[in-house]
Amino acid sequence: MARRKQASFITIRDLKRIFKLGDTLVRAVDGLDIDVAEGEFLCLMGPSGSGKTTLLNMIGGLDRPDEGVITVNGQTITELDENALAVYRRQQVGFVFQSFNLIATMNALDNVKFPMIFAGVSEVERDERARDLLGQVGLGHRMHHKPTELSGGEQQRVSLARSMINRPKILLGDEPTGNLDTRTGTEIMEIIQRLNQQGHTIVIVTHDPRVSTYATRTVHMLDGQIVADNAAPL
Amino acid sequence: MKPRDLLRLIWANLVRMRGRVVMTGMGVLIGTAAIIVLIALATGLQQSTMGGLSDFGPINQITVLPGAYMQAFGGEGAGFRSDAILTPKKLEGFSRIDGVVTVTPVEQFLGSKTLRFNRLVGSSSILGIDPRAVRDMGIEMERGSDRLNRDTVIVGARVAETFADPRRRESGAENAPDLFGQTLTLEMTRTNDEDRDETRIVKLRVGGVLKERGGQDDNSIFLDIDTFEDLNAWSTGKRVDRRALGYSQAILIVNDPKLMLQIESSLITNEGFYAYSARSTLAALNMIFAIIQAVFGGIGAIALIVAAIGIANTMVMSILERTREIGLMKAVGATNRDVMSIFIGEAGAIGVLGGIGGVVFGIAVSKVIDLIAMAYINAELAASGATSSGGAESIAVIPLWLPIFAVAFALVIGLISGIYPALRAVQLNPVTALKYE
Repeated sequence: MARRKQASFITIRDLKRIFKLGDTLVRAVDGLDIDVAEGEFLCLMGPSGSGKTTLLNMIGGLDRPDEGVITVNGQTITELDENALAVYRRQQVGFVFQSFNLIATMNALDNVKFPMIFAGVSEVERDERARDLLGQVGLGHRMHHKPTELSGGEQQRVSLARSMINRPKILLGDEPTGNLDTRTGTEIMEIIQRLNQQGHTIVIVTHDPRVSTYATRTVHMLDGQIVADNAAPL
Repeated sequence: MKPRDLLRLIWANLVRMRGRVVMTGMGVLIGTAAIIVLIALATGLQQSTMGGLSDFGPINQITVLPGAYMQAFGGEGAGFRSDAILTPKKLEGFSRIDGVVTVTPVEQFLGSKTLRFNRLVGSSSILGIDPRAVRDMGIEMERGSDRLNRDTVIVGARVAETFADPRRRESGAENAPDLFGQTLTLEMTRTNDEDRDETRIVKLRVGGVLKERGGQDDNSIFLDIDTFEDLNAWSTGKRVDRRALGYSQAILIVNDPKLMLQIESSLITNEGFYAYSARSTLAALNMIFAIIQAVFGGIGAIALIVAAIGIANTMVMSILERTREIGLMKAVGATNRDVMSIFIGEAGAIGVLGGIGGVVFGIAVSKVIDLIAMAYINAELAASGATSSGGAESIAVIPLWLPIFAVAFALVIGLISGIYPALRAVQLNPVTALKYE
């Protein structure tokens, strides 16, 4: 397990995200503060609607808070414009989703290569890196299969390889095992744990208590706020 | 994103939705083909008309007629003046206009006459011009000299062809006599005061033959204006006072093309003469044909604009279907510009592909129209017994710029119709897009 560094890698202060649903305002994230150290494996838990996915999306630069500041690796991402935020997503974070979000018409190899197109990586290097990563997740023999020809576990492994392809420091997962059976879920979590051991900072949103057993830290949320945090003090 | 990757991605996406791309592209194809065919027909019309009117005459000549001439033809009020008379003094004035090289009066013999060469009878016009102007008119001689004097004439390139034996009715280039150095006989007839016919015979030696230059000149025999005036005076019974009544026509030679139209319009608007030249006639005709082309092209363009709506529709549908993919693109770091480029690019590519298809199809249709029309025209000509010289030309003509323009236009139409769908794609919220079902 990576040693937790004492400096804060992800710093969040007074974060608020309010959605309007009809006439009611939903405070998805409501004045939240948290620090995550580099190399930490953070598990966000809580009931549906507790704001954990919203928090994850804001850390990943997919959504913007209404108030508050998020600083990642020294960069205040809440101040970035659209372009800079896209670059941040490209370079700093990798996403895995519950429903994989692979492009159905591309084979595994092309799905993994896809993010590098926007990073302007050369074709030769794209191929090399994608093959290498697919090998690492145990799919070296299935890289020319389309997503429909792959099992759920295999699809999520492709998705993991894709999330790591631009060599981000942070992996963000939104219920990555939610669509998988226990055995394949375990396989996926083992890969994620391995990535954490290689130094990646991991933030996973889950309902599944077994997932949290891989984490170095578990935070429970309720109504947009942290109600329990087993972190060692920074 | 690198341009090559962008193109590959666009291509892959088009292949993925090929069924719809083909159908949408068909709309563009039909529009482009319509533009090609319609403009080809307009161009064909222009070329066959202009080809038929190639005898406009030399390009450096302005022909000037008295203002009264146009008034007689109902040109009143258009600025033609009855005091615009081609007197020798006026012609002298013309020769001092900037750009005018020389000026000559031109008079046509209108009396009763017969032209003979041995047993052959000819039917050319007889014109009187100023011998001093001939050298500066830039007239090129096929044979002989361009000198005119009392008994020497110059004949146009096709004058010989008009000579035929009246009993055998054969004329044309193959039977044309060689007139150079020969003597023609001009037989003039007039009715005298006692109502009796008088005949006068004048011998004209052919001192030079002109090179073919198009226009009336090819069928004319040129006389020294003084000789001409004598013959005319005998034929009509009186000598015209040119200082008071002026010549019936003058030719200005202008060697600077840039000044041509300017001098011509100045003669008309400022002095009230009627003037025309091959250049201005061509310019006016070309203007008319440009309008015809624009109208025809515009009709085709309507079809293409309808196709553009089809492209926009296809792209909007495609964006709905690919909502999650767009969310994913954003999540993995595609900028708004990347997303824009992809969707506008796809729309543009549909435009280009349809455009290229349309050019090929349009050219094919034009050729078919051409074949059918030419077969019909030639059959009609054969049935009417006409021996057209070389047959009619093409009905549909495709100038080189047309296919290039058509594809470029289809591309632009495609790109424009991609803007709205692409903006929709850019505005998608990645969080909701990724959850879209």
